[in-house]
Amino acid sequence: MSTQVSIQLYEIVGSPLCIASDDGQKVHDQIAAALRKELTVTLSFLNVEGLTSAFLNAAVGQLYGEFSAEQIRANLSVSDMQPDDLVLLKKVVETAKDYFKDPSRFKKAQQEVLGDNDAE
Amino acid sequence: MEISLSNVKSDFEGFNQLIALLQKTKDCAFGEIEVDLAGVTWFEANMCAPFGAILYKVSRELNSVRVTNVHGKLENILLRNGFLSNYGRAVIPDRQGTTIKYKRLETKDARFFGSHIDDLLTKSGIPKMSTGLFKKFRESIFEIFSNAVIHSETKLGIFSCGQVFPNKHRLDFSIADLGMGIRQNVRQNADLDLTAEEAINWALEGKNTTKKGPIPGGLGLKLLREFIELNKGRIQIVSDKGYWDFSNGESQTRGFLHPFPGTVVNIEINTADERSYCLASEINPKNIF
Repeated sequence: MSTQVSIQLYEIVGSPLCIASDDGQKVHDQIAAALRKELTVTLSFLNVEGLTSAFLNAAVGQLYGEFSAEQIRANLSVSDMQPDDLVLLKKVVETAKDYFKDPSRFKKAQQEVLGDNDAE
Repeated sequence: MEISLSNVKSDFEGFNQLIALLQKTKDCAFGEIEVDLAGVTWFEANMCAPFGAILYKVSRELNSVRVTNVHGKLENILLRNGFLSNYGRAVIPDRQGTTIKYKRLETKDARFFGSHIDDLLTKSGIPKMSTGLFKKFRESIFEIFSNAVIHSETKLGIFSCGQVFPNKHRLDFSIADLGMGIRQNVRQNADLDLTAEEAINWALEGKNTTKKGPIPGGLGLKLLREFIELNKGRIQIVSDKGYWDFSNGESQTRGFLHPFPGTVVNIEINTADERSYCLASEINPKNIF
C-alpha cells in the first residue's frame, strides 16, 4: 500500500475557482483523513486559477486545530502553486497558527474532530 | 408613497440617500413605492448593488416597487447593466460591453459568481489591466463575496454591480448583503459592544476575527486593504450605522443617523497600475508549513 497520496484541488472542487469555504472543507476532509492514516500528502494546485483566504482557511488552516505544526510540516507539501498563491497560503498558515494559540479554540476544534469521528 | 432621489455617488451622501429611502419605507407593507429618479443626472452604477439590496428588502414586505422617470444616459446604462429589468423593463443587450451587470446571487452561488466576474473582466469595454493587477482585483472581489457569505448569514442573497470610468482609469465594484452587519457580528461572536464605526475598524485591525469555530479567519478584509493601498485605490465599507473610507493610506469613519440593513463593500481600483504584485521569491514552497 502506498504511503503517499496526491490530492488534486481541481478534481475535488470541480472548478479552477477555489473560492468558497464549503469547497475548502471538502479538501480539508480529504487531507485530514490521509494525515490521520499517517500518509504523506501532496496538495496539487494544478489548473487552479483563483483562490481566497476563506477557501484556504477551511482547507489548510483548519488542520492546525487537529494536527501539530510538526506533523503538518513533515507530512504535507504543495505543488504547482503560482508564486503569489504561495504568499497567500503562507499568510493563511501563519494566521491559523496564531488562531489556535488560544487554548479554548484549540480545545473546541479538538472536541469537534472527536465528535465527528465518533459519529463516523 | 413616492420617494425622489438626487444624484447618487459612491460617497457618504450617496449611501445616506439610500438609507433614507429605506427609513421612509420601513413601516410600509402591501403598499406601492415609487422611486422617482427625475432629479438624478448622475448615478454611479456600482451603487446599484446597495440600491438594489434596499429595494429588494422593501419589496420583501410585499410592497410593489417601481423605479420611474429614468431618462437619457442613465436609463441607457441601467437598462444595459440589467438593473431596470428587475423593475418592469425589458432586458437590452450591452453591445458596447461597457457596463458591469447588476446581479443578485444566492450565497451558495460562489462558483457562478466567479464565472460572472471572469466573463465581465474579458469584455471589450473593460479597461485592459496588467496580468498581476487582473489577478489581484479578481481575488479581492472573491474575498469580499466569501466574506459576505461567511459573516453576514444573509438569507436574502448578495448584490453586486460595477462601473467603469475609462478616462479616469478607474473601476468601481460594490458587493452588498442584507445580513447581520459587522457590529452585530462583533457583538455576538467577540463579545464586544462597539459602535458601528468602531466595529468596522476592529475588523480591519491586526489579528482580530469573529471566528470561533474550527476554521480560522480574519484575513479577507486585511488582504483587501493591503492590495488597495498598493494599488492607490479606495475602499468604502458601510455596515449598520458605520461608514469607513480608505484611500491614500488613510482611513476615515463617519456615522449615519439610521442603519444600512447589512454591509456594503465598495472597491475602487486604479486600472492603469502596472505593479507586478508578485512577491514570490520570498516564499519557498518547502517552508510553507
